[in-house]
Amino acid sequence: MNPQHLKYTQNHEWIRDDGKVFVVGITEYAAEQLGDITYIELPEVGLDVAQDDDVASVESVKAASEVYAPAGGRVVEVNERLLDQPEIVNKSPYEDGWFFKLEGVERAEFDSLMSAAAYEIYLKEQ
Amino acid sequence: MKAVLEARHVKRTPLYDEHILRGAKMTEFHGWILPVQFKGILEEHHHTRSKCSVFDCCHMGEFRLKGSKAIRSLEAMVFNDMICLRVGRCRYSSILDTCGGIIDDIIAMKLSEDELFVVTNAGPYEKVARILYRVCLATDVTAGTAKIDVQGPLSRRVLLDLGLREIEPLKYFTCCRTQWEGFEMLVSRTGYTGELGYEVFLPNDLAAPFWREVTAHLEVEPAGLGARDTLRLEMGYTLYGQDVDESHTTLEAGMGRFIDWNSDFHAKEFLIMQRELGRYKVRTGIRSMDRRAPRPGYEVFHEGRPVGMVTSGSYGPSVGYGIGMAYIPVDLSMPGTRLTAGPKDMEIVTEEFPFYKNGSFKG
Repeated sequence: MNPQHLKYTQNHEWIRDDGKVFVVGITEYAAEQLGDITYIELPEVGLDVAQDDDVASVESVKAASEVYAPAGGRVVEVNERLLDQPEIVNKSPYEDGWFFKLEGVERAEFDSLMSAAAYEIYLKEQ
Repeated sequence: MKAVLEARHVKRTPLYDEHILRGAKMTEFHGWILPVQFKGILEEHHHTRSKCSVFDCCHMGEFRLKGSKAIRSLEAMVFNDMICLRVGRCRYSSILDTCGGIIDDIIAMKLSEDELFVVTNAGPYEKVARILYRVCLATDVTAGTAKIDVQGPLSRRVLLDLGLREIEPLKYFTCCRTQWEGFEMLVSRTGYTGELGYEVFLPNDLAAPFWREVTAHLEVEPAGLGARDTLRLEMGYTLYGQDVDESHTTLEAGMGRFIDWNSDFHAKEFLIMQRELGRYKVRTGIRSMDRRAPRPGYEVFHEGRPVGMVTSGSYGPSVGYGIGMAYIPVDLSMPGTRLTAGPKDMEIVTEEFPFYKNGSFKG
């Protein structure tokens, strides 16, 4: 159910290795827990982040949540469409609903994250 | 959540099975299990403003008051007239304690010269039931009465399609008896959404059959508490227990215009004094500068000084920005006052209710 080629965090973010950049978003589980997303705050392009820094915010009708960097790096692009259409995340959390892209990610940090299978097991404990 | 839903003291409405069949997300609300959402809060909100939604409101209280003595006794506890209320009319009011504190807000419906039907909220139900029995010998019909709210610009058409012919000429804030499949129902043209809408009162055992038929109508979708909240917030309507309670008077709640100062009620002297002094925190509309919502519990600041607190707040789906209500000093409450709220000093501005100005409720 969760895309096999992604890595996952305990705070329900996903990260994808696109070769030159790594793409980050929130999982379907996170989007479902939040409900209809109404507001997204994205990091500034150029920001250097460390693993687990809180870098973005998501608000839904009933809750607000922080999004943490799954790995350290520099923010090189953000998905500005989400500013006016945050509902894209609910509709397409793994594709169109990506939040930001990172450069300079440490291989070791990326490898330390959960695989899709491990994330499935983790979800069962929630 | 599972533990809460299975606890024996939590009540199910007659529509519980219908909601489960639809896969609704459920929650506990003042001792009742109710749907928060079906297809999604935003979708249900927009559907209500454009077509017609139905809401399970079986958790609310209903009482019958018979005889002019009973009605007069109620009148002594509320801020407006009930005796002269014309047959077929509805009136918004509040049951007050002797210091003007709001025990509950109610809608009263005059069914005949000497019969009043009173609708109350789920939160203070036990206390209100005690008071209405002690003082008015009211008959509590809550347990056997179901309520389904039918709200949206197409709601009149929907109910006429279902055969409830008597509702056609109903004006805003009036009520009538009507029929569905030969069964008698009571309908008021009232609601909590700001759209053209009706509240349908029917016996419990008719609730599920009626719900099934109304939701089968092409223009109708079920909606839950989530959308109910965003809809009422956009209109500036209070949620009892969150925006108003016994610690607030009618003036503080910003509802002084509903008070009939010619009526005699026990809290009147107190409210007269409060009105003359004019120094209290009043419930005021606030909005944010973007999509972010002010949240309940956020402290409100004016020029850095704490001046009040947000009681309700959310993103307003029909207006496109964050909206809410906060109690702030009267002299800061005129529209356009710049304030900040919450731990991140969110910029907010006071704004008059309703936030959403295109509601069809009077149409």
